[in-house]
Amino acid sequence: MIQVKQLSRKYGEQFAVENLSFHVRKGEVMGLLGPNGAGKSTTMKMLTCFLPPSSGEASIDGVSLQDSLTLRRKLGYLPENAPSYSDIDVYSHLKFVGAMHGLADATLVDRIEEMNQACGLTHVMYRRIDELSKGFRQRVGLAASMLHDPDCLIFDEPTTGLDPNQIVEIRQLIRRLGKKKTVLLSSHLLAEVEAVCDRMMIIDHGELQVIGTAEELSRQAHGGALIHVTFKMLPERVFDLLKEKAPEVEVTERAVEPYHGYVIHHADPEFPLAEELFHAAVACEAVILEMRSEQASLEDVFRKLTGAGQ
Amino acid sequence: MSGGLNRALAICRKEWRVALDTPLGYVVAIAFFLASGFFFANNLFLIGQADMREYFSVMPLLLMFFIPAMSMRSIADEQRSGTFELMVTMPVRTTDIVVGKFLALMLQISVLMMMTLFYPFILSLLGNIDAGQVAAAYLAILLLAACYISICLYASSLTDHAIIAYVVGFGILLGLFLVMQTLPTFSPAVQNLLTYLMPLSHYQSMLRGVIALGDLCSLLAVTVLFLSLAWFQLERRRWR
Repeated sequence: MIQVKQLSRKYGEQFAVENLSFHVRKGEVMGLLGPNGAGKSTTMKMLTCFLPPSSGEASIDGVSLQDSLTLRRKLGYLPENAPSYSDIDVYSHLKFVGAMHGLADATLVDRIEEMNQACGLTHVMYRRIDELSKGFRQRVGLAASMLHDPDCLIFDEPTTGLDPNQIVEIRQLIRRLGKKKTVLLSSHLLAEVEAVCDRMMIIDHGELQVIGTAEELSRQAHGGALIHVTFKMLPERVFDLLKEKAPEVEVTERAVEPYHGYVIHHADPEFPLAEELFHAAVACEAVILEMRSEQASLEDVFRKLTGAGQ
Repeated sequence: MSGGLNRALAICRKEWRVALDTPLGYVVAIAFFLASGFFFANNLFLIGQADMREYFSVMPLLLMFFIPAMSMRSIADEQRSGTFELMVTMPVRTTDIVVGKFLALMLQISVLMMMTLFYPFILSLLGNIDAGQVAAAYLAILLLAACYISICLYASSLTDHAIIAYVVGFGILLGLFLVMQTLPTFSPAVQNLLTYLMPLSHYQSMLRGVIALGDLCSLLAVTVLFLSLAWFQLERRRWR
């Protein structure tokens, strides 16, 4: 489990990450989202002991950042752009990484074979890394990060440079890993985070904006309940009845020719807006052709919270 | 502790592998043999002397050019390509990294020097050579190489660019060489101090065939000093 409390990192007088607190449970995949320069990579560099925090505390499975050597044994880390030793072949690179993690030779050979299967490296195992495509280098980086079977995995943009088929394979792999391990990944691809992560958080200017499941984030983005409704005829008294029950309801017209469309909003996300609207329509004998409650897409949430939508 | 040593050896093996798999290692080795062979043959055939004193006296000049070339990529390239981040987020101490890199370069220079044992072998066929003096000279050259490697590793830790690392490493070695060349221009007190501090003066002292503890310790102290500076630079880079 990853536990982060009030973690901050300053470059000069500028905060790259400020008072960041969150936790990732074992068997959970947490997505880290944010625009460029939001502090995603800095957060990961601090958690992997590459950069020291300016203040705050973090631990992995109860091991504090202060006990850096023990903590790094528990970690598998794929840095941004998956750096690897380009002058040597894939097998030598993985062997070196395994040796650095203290794996015995016999175990190492088995683990390399497992990673070979998991990441599809069979055809390139004895090729120099600088001859490989970006996608294969990414796979080599992933294989290296998982080689010592760590409890906690931290991936900085794990699917960058992969083709669509590879992306699907790696996402499936991360989901499989996420059932047993603690996974924290950052990505620019909102669809990826939605597809792979159990929970996600959005940071901007180094500060946590929101954290939760995709549904929770969506509700928070709207700041209430939102319903799209289409009536066959002009619903003369329906909204009066509805407003008797909930005076704070806001109704906005929308064009649905030749019918009558409306968007109805209520500030309280827990208010049973659809149910009340239905009862009001029945009482007025108004025919509803369509009614759907709308959730904000992750993209809407992202744009709203990171200021791009303003 | 043994874990740390194993990791240092793993780094050493990886560096050795890189040296074998890249053209730079071979280019440096071939150039070294051409240059060292020229100085050996020059002394033997043109001057007609069957001894190695001249050969060993130019060896520091050769090392001054070749060791910066061999070590310039060692740390600078890791920092530029991002593999330094990969390495230090694995369970390895900065000390293991510096020691591993140093051992790898020592291994490379030792292999090169072992191949030059061919020269004293030829001389032994032509006449009598002082085996003890040659052995002391080889030990001296390895200790001087250790000094130069530690200086160039420090230079490599200062930058992300191999060429800058070469220029800085070569610059420091050239500076040390020039100080030795201009030694007579200093006052006797300064001369004594510089003779004590300069690795080259201890090297020259060992060339006489006498292995003095003071010379050994001085050369080793300079090596440890610059390895410590490289260690400090890497730690500082991470923690600033």
